[in-house]
Amino acid sequence: MNSDIERRQRFELVAAKVYEPLQRYLRRRATPDDAADALSDVLLTVWRRLDNVPPDIPLPWCYGVARRALANQRRGRQRHLRLVERMTTEASTSPAHEVDDPALEAALSELTESDQELLRLWAWEQLEPREIATVLQTTPNAVSLRLTRAKAKLESKLRRQDPFTAGQKRDRHTEEHRP
Amino acid sequence: MTDELRNRLSRLDPMASDVPTEPVTTESSQHLLEEIMTTPNLEQPGSSDSPNKRPWIAAVAAAAVVIVAIAAVGLLSGDGGGDPIAATPPLELNAGGEDIMASCIAFSVEYLAPMPVAFEGTVVSAVGDTVTLDVDTWFKGGDAAQVVLNAPQGLEALIGGFPFEEGTQYLITASEGNVNYCGFSGESTPEMRAAFEEAFGS
Repeated sequence: MNSDIERRQRFELVAAKVYEPLQRYLRRRATPDDAADALSDVLLTVWRRLDNVPPDIPLPWCYGVARRALANQRRGRQRHLRLVERMTTEASTSPAHEVDDPALEAALSELTESDQELLRLWAWEQLEPREIATVLQTTPNAVSLRLTRAKAKLESKLRRQDPFTAGQKRDRHTEEHRP
Repeated sequence: MTDELRNRLSRLDPMASDVPTEPVTTESSQHLLEEIMTTPNLEQPGSSDSPNKRPWIAAVAAAAVVIVAIAAVGLLSGDGGGDPIAATPPLELNAGGEDIMASCIAFSVEYLAPMPVAFEGTVVSAVGDTVTLDVDTWFKGGDAAQVVLNAPQGLEALIGGFPFEEGTQYLITASEGNVNYCGFSGESTPEMRAAFEEAFGS
């Protein structure tokens, strides 16, 4: 019985740490209804796999479970190919989200979905390569490599999307070298 | 520059910290947690055969794809966490040599659709005769996080194939455990992805 109480306490501690960040993670990538369903799925997995959850930094592990929960939802409902499109539409029409950087958004949308996801995990979830590796079930080295390339690709697209800014930089550069 | 890019990207976040989420302390949150804690704890640590995996195993066996459990993904991740539900072993396929599409029938969605295995993945390593891809999207035939392609004759010996580069995303189909070439697998392009979506989408 004591072990039951101890288990509940451990779960409640983890849940308190991940509850709100998980909502953000899921709502960045799914509709509110799907996010709510996935949140229950993730917490259920945390409860069932409590011994496998890293107690100090449970979030990357939970993001990994959330990622699979969303993937399962997409497969289960046979609509996985439409979700990204729908999410993009919803994100851009969400009252909480006012895009004030269309050049960056356009450049980001030109990257592959896996590059976009890497950059989201890095910038939105504020994860480091080691933590992203836990989410994506790969190695930190592979993440570092892919992240470096994704950033370079984004910056390259951005230079093309954002000629005004690039032009400003060029002008400044030219002026600096004037006698 | 990196910090600047990260900050700039974070400003696109539709769920930035000023967007409210439901606190864990609300009545409905507590109700959800309580409901979960009344669920029986079915899994034992280290259990390797969760019910979640069974449909996938059946589906892939039906597709006659060779699966070799070379390593649990948890081990590859290096975090030592050993998440049992993450332990779906990588799908292993043969690449190169005389594949069944060697006669190179004309590419069409009609021929693409019956392929038993189709996914989009990013190459995380291409070393020796082995290419490892992280799966970004499963269209058909699996749910492993990674797929390993073996080219026993070496990657250079691929007939009608294409080079695999780390960090690049590919669309791959396979039949009978072999990767198909001749346009039925290749580097991911918007046109090819559209064909995959048409062939395997809902």
